[in-house]
Amino acid sequence: MTEINETYKEKISFNKRLIFLYVTFGILGVVFYYQIFNLQISNYSEYEIAAINNKNEEISVQPLRGIIFDRNGEILVNNVPTFDLITKPFFIDDPDDFLLKLSSFLEINEEDKKAFLLQFEKAKTLNKELTLKQSISDEDKAKFLVRSHMFENAYVGKRYLRNYLYPEIFSHSIGYVGKPNEDELDEIYELKSLNTKINFTYTNQLIVGKTGLEFVYEDILSGEFGNNLREVDARGKTLDEKISSESKVGNNLYTSLDLKSHQAAHKSLNNRKGAVVAIDINDGSIVTLFSSPTFSTNQLANGILQKDFDELLLSEEKPFFNRALRGRYPPASSIKPAIAMYGIEEGLIDWNFSIFDEGFFTLPEDGRIYRDWKEGGHGDTNLFKAITQSSNTYFFDLAYRSDINQLNKHLSSLGFGNKACIDCFEEDQVFVPEPSWKLNKHNFGWFKGDTVNMGVGQGYLVSTPIQLAKYAYIMANKGKFSDLSLKKDLVKSEKSIEFNKFSNDDWFKLHESMVNVIEGNTGTARRLREKKNYIVAAKTGTAELVSGDNREQYSETRLDDSLRDHALIIAFGPMPNPRYAVSVVVENGESGGSVAGPVAISVLNSLIQE
Amino acid sequence: MRYLDFKKFSIYYDPYLIISITLLSILGLFFLYSASDGNTSVLIKQLIFVFFGLILMIILSQPDPQIYYSYSGFFLLFSIILVFVAIFFGPEINGANRWISFGFITLQPSELCKIFLPIFIASYLYGVKLPINLSNTFLTIFLILIVFLIVSSQPDLGTAIVILLSGLYVLFLAGLSWTFIGSAFAIFVISLPFLWNNFLEPFQRQRIATLFNPDLDPFGSAWNITQSKIAIGSGGIFGKGFGEGTQSHLNFLPETETDFIFAVIAEEFGLVGLTILIGLYFFIFIRCFYLSINARDRFCRLVIGGLSLVFISTLFINIGMVIGLLPVVGMPLPLISQGGSSLISFYIAFGIIISMASHKKLVPR
Repeated sequence: MTEINETYKEKISFNKRLIFLYVTFGILGVVFYYQIFNLQISNYSEYEIAAINNKNEEISVQPLRGIIFDRNGEILVNNVPTFDLITKPFFIDDPDDFLLKLSSFLEINEEDKKAFLLQFEKAKTLNKELTLKQSISDEDKAKFLVRSHMFENAYVGKRYLRNYLYPEIFSHSIGYVGKPNEDELDEIYELKSLNTKINFTYTNQLIVGKTGLEFVYEDILSGEFGNNLREVDARGKTLDEKISSESKVGNNLYTSLDLKSHQAAHKSLNNRKGAVVAIDINDGSIVTLFSSPTFSTNQLANGILQKDFDELLLSEEKPFFNRALRGRYPPASSIKPAIAMYGIEEGLIDWNFSIFDEGFFTLPEDGRIYRDWKEGGHGDTNLFKAITQSSNTYFFDLAYRSDINQLNKHLSSLGFGNKACIDCFEEDQVFVPEPSWKLNKHNFGWFKGDTVNMGVGQGYLVSTPIQLAKYAYIMANKGKFSDLSLKKDLVKSEKSIEFNKFSNDDWFKLHESMVNVIEGNTGTARRLREKKNYIVAAKTGTAELVSGDNREQYSETRLDDSLRDHALIIAFGPMPNPRYAVSVVVENGESGGSVAGPVAISVLNSLIQE
Repeated sequence: MRYLDFKKFSIYYDPYLIISITLLSILGLFFLYSASDGNTSVLIKQLIFVFFGLILMIILSQPDPQIYYSYSGFFLLFSIILVFVAIFFGPEINGANRWISFGFITLQPSELCKIFLPIFIASYLYGVKLPINLSNTFLTIFLILIVFLIVSSQPDLGTAIVILLSGLYVLFLAGLSWTFIGSAFAIFVISLPFLWNNFLEPFQRQRIATLFNPDLDPFGSAWNITQSKIAIGSGGIFGKGFGEGTQSHLNFLPETETDFIFAVIAEEFGLVGLTILIGLYFFIFIRCFYLSINARDRFCRLVIGGLSLVFISTLFINIGMVIGLLPVVGMPLPLISQGGSSLISFYIAFGIIISMASHKKLVPR
């Protein structure tokens, strides 16, 4: 009986305890089920997105840049395909071992290896691709492809190079592309809302215009990034990639630049320091924008040895310097037609007014002498002769009688001290020297002698080759002009200079005098006459870098190349209905007529004689 | 409870348990096929285990519980020896010596301890008077701790915890005094900081810490749990469909065939699939509860109760870990996860449960 009682007691106790444990698990089960419900129902959308984000990766796809054409439809810049050896560091365990394996059949130079190892860790953590070798040869490509089964972590990919067909000719006008710097990079990522991972189309990965038209028209040329949706597994291995939006090739850029005239400028300047700018008078578009010496834009865009780059950078010749837009040169005698216009407009002279040129001008205030370039002078000199033979004395006298502020205004209206071009890269607008400027800069007041010097384009007056070209263009087009531009068919408003006294007849005579500079027997550039078969109007100039007070001193300075005078010329033709205006500056070229002149003529020939 | 009476011999069985366990095992094969990315060799291996496991279960249902009572000590000793064999002679895999290799299969003998330890304790406490006195209590706890320490030295904390629980369940069900439970619990709470600092490995501490603050270590030990939650959550009501789970098949989810198979099921079959699965488990529990309440004697009661609680605990630890409510510890989803040892051990457990439930006590004439 006691045993039965005992058993019963034990059974009740067992049942209670078993129920206790089951109830405990039951409660736990409810909590668990609640958690599952929370995950699957309450927070479903959040986890659904998380699952999608896990496997889907948005990839930006780099677009091709637009092609750049010259005015006649010649391709100047395009994109050429190339094959690169591209690695996936994420799947490479030992980079040294990997390189060793590759080196057994491919030649990889030390610099590429170094660059690869340097970027390896970062690329590995971000699961980004890394280009090991650019533009591999067909032979190397074949060598790799037969062994590609051994390299799950590398492949030969088709990429493009920005290709400059005339790399030495458009160095300054078209410029070149390059890797964006930190700031540009941030801007690109933000502005174009790029993903961290990009499928690169170019060997050099992200590229932006660095200088010239490539920079100015970046927005037109660069195109639009596309988007790919990539499905990846947890290791980051790509399983599938779909295009969600195609990348858009950048727009082509049709420029007003003329290939042949650039080739002519390049050839005739023959790497001397200088610049050529030519303008289509019809619409003020720039056909030639050439600075010399040049450099290869292909090298700059697609890889140059540091040594070669340093050499270019430190060269005395300063090849990177864009002389056409930024070179500051005194306009010298080429300014004389402008001064003549001023004199007629202000009633200070007319075509009959003449002086006796004895070879120098004496400033009445202090007796200071201003010399003509010709010893003994030109004798009786009217305006026509003063321009044709480039009499300094005549213009010293005229300038002496001018009001500096009025003269400045006149020069400004002809483009001096203003930006000439609306789409040029980093144009220097220089300035017209105001009396107030001199006071600030040199702490001296404006002397009458300063005005006298300006009469022959010397002293404080400086201009750039593009300003000189624009000035020639305005002269050729009888005061009517548009802003200069490089993009073809740009809509621009035509402007004109207002005159009271300066008449159509005056224009005719001015043109005639400038035609005589070449075509006349006494013209300063008469030797150019035979180099062409049409009529050209011109004005030469020789910019003195050192003003010698006497001739002995002057001869000494001529011995030092870099101190020699700059040779200048502005010209337009064919007359009487000019189509092109051109300016040429040859640094240390000495004589405008004989050094700058032939360059101008060969450029005009390339434009006019098709 | 029942037996088929043939002329010469009878077959002892419990239709409810056999049907639900078979169903669960077949479902498990189905789930495993997807979880293993359609790997047929994994499936076939598991299928062989299931097939022979079910046969083993039926076979083990046949002997009278008396046999298990008499040989409980031998079974326990045998499994402990196998654990030592694994420790000293077994292959080292991932820094642990848990396995004995038989060429084509490797088995984990510690899985047997979680079956035979509770059976041995039940047999030991069979005749003990209520309430269990202190010396018996300490002796039992001492035995449990020894087996626990042996297994955790492999190291295998997951199985060791289940073994610890299996012994304690039987001790508790047998009538451990409430005073003792109260004071032991108090001591346990007080010594928690000591245990935390001295007993747990740094990675285990990390796992517990990330449980409460997953942002602490988003790519380390919390990664698994985060991915598991995403898998479960993104399954929604109906799931993504068989073989369609992106978390499972693109390797975001770790250990899809073993510890995290629950998340695979959740991702591909949603709340509906989980509810059916949980319903099956629930049915097995309720059946075990009924069987243990109605068992023929104290020994059978304790064994059915203890073994069914081992089964429940394994399930809860696994699911708790996968849904992010418990720290990460290696624990299979019973009857579904890949792995022969766990599977076989549960078939053995259910074989013994059925044996104890279906043999009526011979009433002495």
